[in-house]
Amino acid sequence: MKNRSTSGSAFLAWTIGFLFCLGLSNIYAQNDEKYRVRLRADYVKIMEGDAYLNIKATAKIEDETLPVPNIDIAVYNEVEDEEIILGNTKTNMKGESRFVLNKSMDLKSDSTNTYNLGISFNGNDSFRKASKSTSFKNAHIVANLIAKDSINYLTATLRETATDSLLAGESLIIQVQRLFNPLKIGEEFNFTDENGTILVPIEEGIPGVDGNLIIEVVLDDSDDYGTVISIVNAPVGTPIVEEITFDQRKMWSARNKTPIFLLVFINLIIAVIYGLFIYLISNLFRISKN
Amino acid sequence: MTKYESLINDLAPRKFGKRGTIWTLILVVFIILGLIAYIDQVNKGQVVTNMRDYALWGIYISNFVFFVATSFVGSATVAVLRLTNNSWRTPVVRIAEIISLASIVMAGFTIMIDMGRPDRLLNLFIYARLQSPITWDVIIIPTSIILSFLLLYFPLLPDLAILKKHHLKTKPTFSKWYGKLSLNWTGSKVQKAIQSKSIKIIAIMVIPVGILLQTIDAWLFSTTYRIGWDSTNMGAYFTSGAFVAGLGALITVVYIIRKVRRLEHYITDYHFDKLAQYLLLTCLVYVYFNINEYLIPIFNAPVEEDIHLNALVYGEYATIFWFSQIVGLILPILILLFKNGRKPLPVFIVGIMVVLGSWWKRYIIVTPTLLHPFLPIEGVPESWHHYFPSIHEWLITGATLAMALLIITLFVRFLPVIPIQRIAEEKGLLKTDKKAES
Repeated sequence: MKNRSTSGSAFLAWTIGFLFCLGLSNIYAQNDEKYRVRLRADYVKIMEGDAYLNIKATAKIEDETLPVPNIDIAVYNEVEDEEIILGNTKTNMKGESRFVLNKSMDLKSDSTNTYNLGISFNGNDSFRKASKSTSFKNAHIVANLIAKDSINYLTATLRETATDSLLAGESLIIQVQRLFNPLKIGEEFNFTDENGTILVPIEEGIPGVDGNLIIEVVLDDSDDYGTVISIVNAPVGTPIVEEITFDQRKMWSARNKTPIFLLVFINLIIAVIYGLFIYLISNLFRISKN
Repeated sequence: MTKYESLINDLAPRKFGKRGTIWTLILVVFIILGLIAYIDQVNKGQVVTNMRDYALWGIYISNFVFFVATSFVGSATVAVLRLTNNSWRTPVVRIAEIISLASIVMAGFTIMIDMGRPDRLLNLFIYARLQSPITWDVIIIPTSIILSFLLLYFPLLPDLAILKKHHLKTKPTFSKWYGKLSLNWTGSKVQKAIQSKSIKIIAIMVIPVGILLQTIDAWLFSTTYRIGWDSTNMGAYFTSGAFVAGLGALITVVYIIRKVRRLEHYITDYHFDKLAQYLLLTCLVYVYFNINEYLIPIFNAPVEEDIHLNALVYGEYATIFWFSQIVGLILPILILLFKNGRKPLPVFIVGIMVVLGSWWKRYIIVTPTLLHPFLPIEGVPESWHHYFPSIHEWLITGATLAMALLIITLFVRFLPVIPIQRIAEEKGLLKTDKKAES
């Protein structure tokens, strides 16, 4: 009887100890776990403007893909077996970073005129190290506004820069810049012809500030060339007539624009009330003198 | 002792007994605690409060709105009852004037307490935009303080002269002060004529200034595009609410003073019945405006307003909302409808219910709207979506309420709370006395 009781207690103690260790190991396992960072790098080139890498870092944490903010990322140019460091950048709160590729960086291409860029993250207490490569060839778009038979067209020619060869069969997007999402015009797919050119009519009546449209010709996320954007200022839109009455609402404006009626009305009320106050206080003096 | 002397004895201010002293000390302790909390707030900044980018107005502003509403009691009783020839008002008007002055003074202080940088108070005047309701508020509050003071002071002059004479032998220092404050009042025809004319002007002024004060207070909210505030009903809604809050406070204070000073012969059941009827009428009007304020949005409110209303009716603020509506408004109406409910004690209880309901009502007017911002900020901490005052805020607010009560207490200690001269005139004691003297 006594033996049974002792073995029962021992079993209970062992079970509690086992469960405790199991729990403890889980806690430590959780603390030790490092998450895997997923990096993405997209090359974007704006004609007559900057070329840059759009970098995004995410991680899957508890079945949810979340941005990884504030991590240091190194950017380098891969030339044959050599990695030439171009610089470092840090992700923002959205896990994003834009690394501008200055002309002074003097990027080097391989024998096929392809540029190979890499990004890498060295890891930290929470995330494992990660890296990503991206490759692109240099291309450029020449876009112009032309008018034929009173119709405005946008023509754009796409060429590979290194070989100066025309690029046929590539799809270009034509869009007008807007505050939130751009407004696409033309066909859904505008493929370049054998001359590497597209011709897209600009329909009438597109509103723009003072009638100016900022039109973008975009080679979007091409496998070979990345994203190339050419911007054309086209004064062919319909001027926007501002119907905002905010400036006319003088009740919201600066004090030097106080409406006359308000100045007169409020000052009149103040004058009447305080005039009566002066009269009443003078009455107190009159009472004291009588 | 003649009847007139007996009247003066009854109504002249008296030294506090044990209870009065303890009461005053309690108020002083509350004020000191609040002062310590306020000094800490000035040193550390408003981070010691629970106000953040969303709830940027909290208990201070709701308390300010309550004080402004309560100060309307001067307009509601003195002016309205005077202009409508309700002679029963006599024993309660002085108390109403005192509450009015104490409340509006504390409303001014509360605004300063809410300022993150009180040292920049003058900027309110230097950089004032006349288009801004806040500027109108900055103008109307000092105006109301001056008017409330004059409203109290002019009718006091004869009583101060009576007290000067009354204390001449027993308390010469008091007598000297009462003499100075009475401005050499002798009761001459000229003095009476000037005083009567002045009081008439003040009584007329008090109503538009009072309505302006309440309306501007309402416009601070309704001129914004914020849900729950963006309403054309707001000015009238606030004014009707001020009648209720002011009368609730008046009834409560009148009952306590009557009890403590044993003034049952002067403030009778009849006066409570009349005050109760007046409060009942104002509560009914306020219910009407509440229906306008909450029912119409149920029909035509955009989604955000609907969320706001749900938070009030079913959600986070439901307890306070229904407390202010039921305890502060519906139950008082039901009690006051019956004659037995208009006896002094039930009316006093109703007064307390109304005051508590009115205070929390201002809290739910100010706070829930702020938690549903016009332009929501992305990724704000969860705590910004909720607000409950911090210890600092409670202590400081408690101190402002204690300060208002202390002002009332000190006035009760040193001034006759019922107009002696006027009661004597109404009872015909002055003529009888003069005949007896001759």
